[in-house]
Amino acid sequence: MANIKIENLTFTYPGASQPALKSVSLDVKEGELLLVIGRSGCGKSTLLRHLKTALTPHGSSEGSVLVNGTRLSDIPEREQAERIGFVFQHPDDQIVTDKVWHELAFGLESLGMDAAGMRLRVAEMASYFGLENVFYKNVSELSGGQKQLLNLASVMALSPDLIVLDEPTSQLDPIAAFNFLTTVKKLNTELGITVILTEHRLEEALPFADKVAVMENGSITVPDTPRNTARNLYASHSPMFAAMPAAAKLSCELGMDNVALTPGEGRGMLLSMGLAPKLISDKPEKANVKEPVIEASELYFRYEKDEPDILKKLDFDIYAGEIYGLVGGNGAGKSTLLSVLSGARTPYRGKIIIGGQRKKGRFSAFEERIGMLSQDPRTVFSGNTVGEDLKTAAMNRGGEDVEKRIADAARLMDIEDLLDRNPFDLSGGEQQRTAIAIVMLTQPRVLLLDEPTKGMDAAVKAAFGEKLCELRNGGTAILIVTHDTEFCAEFADRVGMMFDGSIVTENATREFFCRNTFYTTAANRIARDVYMNAILTEEVAGLVREDKQRR
Amino acid sequence: MQKDSFYTVNPAVNICFFAAVMLITTFVLHPVIVGVSLAAACAYTLMLKGRKAFVYMLAFVVPVVLAVSVINPLFNHEGVTVLFYLWNGNAMTYEAVIYGCVSACMFAALIMWFFCLNCVMTSDKYVYLFGRIIPTLSLVFSMVLRFVPGIISRIREVSQARRSISPDFGKNPIKGIRHGLSTVSVTVTWALEKAVNVSDSMKSRGYGLGRRTSFSVFSFDKRDCALSAIMLVCFAACVAALASKTISFRFYPSIKQTFAGWAAYGGCAAFAVLCALPVLLNIKENIAWRILKSRI
Amino acid sequence: MSEKTNKEDKKKAYRLALSVIVALILVPAVIALGVAVWDDRKFYIVSLIIIIMSMVPFALRFESRKLRARELVVLAAMIAIGVAARAAFYMTPQFKPAVAVAIITGIAFGCESGFIAGAMIAFVSNFIFGQGSWTPWQMEAMGILGFLGGILFHKRDGSLPKLLPLCVFGGLGTLIIYGLIVDTSTVITTQSVITWEKLTAAYVSGFGPNIVHAAATVIFLLILAKPLLGKLNRVRVKYGLLE
Repeated sequence: MANIKIENLTFTYPGASQPALKSVSLDVKEGELLLVIGRSGCGKSTLLRHLKTALTPHGSSEGSVLVNGTRLSDIPEREQAERIGFVFQHPDDQIVTDKVWHELAFGLESLGMDAAGMRLRVAEMASYFGLENVFYKNVSELSGGQKQLLNLASVMALSPDLIVLDEPTSQLDPIAAFNFLTTVKKLNTELGITVILTEHRLEEALPFADKVAVMENGSITVPDTPRNTARNLYASHSPMFAAMPAAAKLSCELGMDNVALTPGEGRGMLLSMGLAPKLISDKPEKANVKEPVIEASELYFRYEKDEPDILKKLDFDIYAGEIYGLVGGNGAGKSTLLSVLSGARTPYRGKIIIGGQRKKGRFSAFEERIGMLSQDPRTVFSGNTVGEDLKTAAMNRGGEDVEKRIADAARLMDIEDLLDRNPFDLSGGEQQRTAIAIVMLTQPRVLLLDEPTKGMDAAVKAAFGEKLCELRNGGTAILIVTHDTEFCAEFADRVGMMFDGSIVTENATREFFCRNTFYTTAANRIARDVYMNAILTEEVAGLVREDKQRR
Repeated sequence: MQKDSFYTVNPAVNICFFAAVMLITTFVLHPVIVGVSLAAACAYTLMLKGRKAFVYMLAFVVPVVLAVSVINPLFNHEGVTVLFYLWNGNAMTYEAVIYGCVSACMFAALIMWFFCLNCVMTSDKYVYLFGRIIPTLSLVFSMVLRFVPGIISRIREVSQARRSISPDFGKNPIKGIRHGLSTVSVTVTWALEKAVNVSDSMKSRGYGLGRRTSFSVFSFDKRDCALSAIMLVCFAACVAALASKTISFRFYPSIKQTFAGWAAYGGCAAFAVLCALPVLLNIKENIAWRILKSRI
Repeated sequence: MSEKTNKEDKKKAYRLALSVIVALILVPAVIALGVAVWDDRKFYIVSLIIIIMSMVPFALRFESRKLRARELVVLAAMIAIGVAARAAFYMTPQFKPAVAVAIITGIAFGCESGFIAGAMIAFVSNFIFGQGSWTPWQMEAMGILGFLGGILFHKRDGSLPKLLPLCVFGGLGTLIIYGLIVDTSTVITTQSVITWEKLTAAYVSGFGPNIVHAAATVIFLLILAKPLLGKLNRVRVKYGLLE
């Protein structure tokens, strides 16, 4: 059984001036679920990779990693392969073979297990993880959530006693993410497997953790309970506090003795305070007449003649200078809508008007000045440096003062320091900003973003939101397709919900969320009994404080 | 497809069947053998894909057959029975025409058998077969199969993403190709980056630590044993008949065919059974199901 | 140390010579023998056996090399790119980039990997386009091109080859080697009596498509060779692959 002790581990990448890990000490007890949190680039992944010799990066290191009292380097790699399981961030980048059953058996094959033994293990894994229905399928047919479950299952096939998960849910939608984390927790409690997990999205993950350790600039804190961690982060004004679940943030800001973790607990906490119900009244919006950039009415679309409609009687419009958030489940047709609006696909019925002109058939997104960014920002990179890519984009649009426009865009997106770097070497947040700068240089009047906040940590996300607001204030229309309700609540002006091929409701952000019961922010769920239309944690905290002062 | 019983037998039996049938079909240019093979191939194609697909197949096969059977007499002037003289003074001979027809039918049978093979021998079966003999290549094969759909959809994704940052080059083919290939190049960067991640996952699960075994969802059961035995007996009987020279067909200079005696009939019957094995298996299991159902 | 490397080098040179003999001399020789000695269907079978035989040493070498995970995955990724690229250009049957990808892989990772890549691209892409009697021939042809690409242009230090000779090789190689092998295979499979007239007719009728194919290879090499080799070299140097 696994009992991990890291002692004074210091690690420096070759050629780096600063160590990536600074005398890290960590103690993980057997059967514990440890959550390691920290901003992107704080050294979480580097630390996790030190838990397996085969994955340890090159560089100079001091200190030791002990598993059950034995130095990791003294444990044969074969034993490590069996006993320490790893699941990484990208579900797609871990699958080796083409069939689900083969993938489940891959590790067992590598270790040379006999056929009968493999048959049993593979069967066990497929049934425990609910993969029977996809057992014979090609892995390319699975959804992201299923792929990540498959990765977990194929690691579990080796029956490890420690599993290490590096941001396993960052690429999944909220439902799949919750499902995945529940499975991990189940492994932890039912089988007593030690789990070390890193996450950015803590709303779901934090309540599952036994202990939480916070990493910052290569240093780590002593693991503590989730509640204490929230309290400590608040007390030390750590930027990591922004990532805490809404209930924890609220209870810390209100100085409660007991820190709530889940919306349910938070709701109980507010109810017990005996607050007076109140509504937030927004200042009436300035009545400036906005011009529509895209108007689409009664769109119908399907991929093949005999297939069902993906878009059905869909009405949508977006105005200059607004951020529109589009939410909805998987398969509701959100991504299809984006490809129709950008002219890559043609609806078989309905009208699309862009900038006052009706468009028929396929049209060029570039000519119509529609900027579109897919889920992966790397799709728009082609050159060797960021500067090169910015220049290509600006030159494509042509016109005067290319240099100045590039400088402006780089400043706006805060990537001035990155111009000489290879875009593929940047961090996720930097890549996202660079990609937007590239698209902005083609001077789009509307920006279509597909899941832009996927994989971003709280701080990066907040900064990104600010950048979008600046663009909006400059008059660009921005459509964000996302699962991230918190992000929408904070930055969008209008929100629509897509279901079964059409937009079923659409409203100003506050109205939208306070009318939903399930599809709303955690803060709203906590406070809705008292403050019906509060949707952000800060709003709720502010209202509670007002109430207290009044008393 | 799923209803095909032959699809569900062990891949080794599948591949041996196709190898044996195609070997004899291509090897023995005898109208009877070719005819049997073609008939069995047509029957199995019909069973696999239904009448509609079969008609499509014919639309593809018939022109090829015609072309092949015409080409031979045009280029080959051996044979003693001259039908007429071509415009260039060469003879069109009866033997060459017959030869063309027989070899065209052989080719048609081959096409049909390959069509069946493409239906039955799905890629996972090759992974299984190679896994025993050449495990590393089999793994590479499986990885390639795993990467291809991802790369194709990535190419699509990249070219869609780039529609909004670069003009449409539809009218300029050279710029268009350049643009298309830079899409491929971007995809390569992505694929190589991904490859390094995949290799981490392989190492993490113990790849390269020792001799690999190979897992499969296929097993070799009694039915496979029986089929193999039948195939072996039929193949041997057929080869013996051929070796005894009781089945032969000489085209040039004049047609002289031998097909007589119990050896010839036996060999031909054996070949017919061999060719019809998948069809017979399907019929047998269909009947078994009917009986089972009627008992309920 | 130096003795050991010497020995290794010798071993490598020996293996290389063996591979060259098999791929370039033995195979065409036996095919020629087949043409000369047999004039019946037997010779189709014989040539097929030769093709399969010629792949055996490559396969066995590949198995015995104990490649590391990274090398394996990168090779698989290149093959997959070749297959995907062929699938992406499915509308223009002769204008296909697969040969160029095989050659580039050969240049980056050496002749043996080049052969494996070429043969595998042909084999796997036929799961999309349909397996047939042409599969082994295409595998052999593409394999030889990948192999030759490796022999002629693979540099230990990973320096990039000159574009002009590369394109000349790619064009002529596709036109002559690939074209010849595949056109011959058409005659061999469809016709039982092989005459020079039939072969000539096949080569003449195949010349147009082969020219298009060769042109495609040249264009793809011209545009893709530099960036792709640059990327592969980066990976190769970074992880010390396939040496």
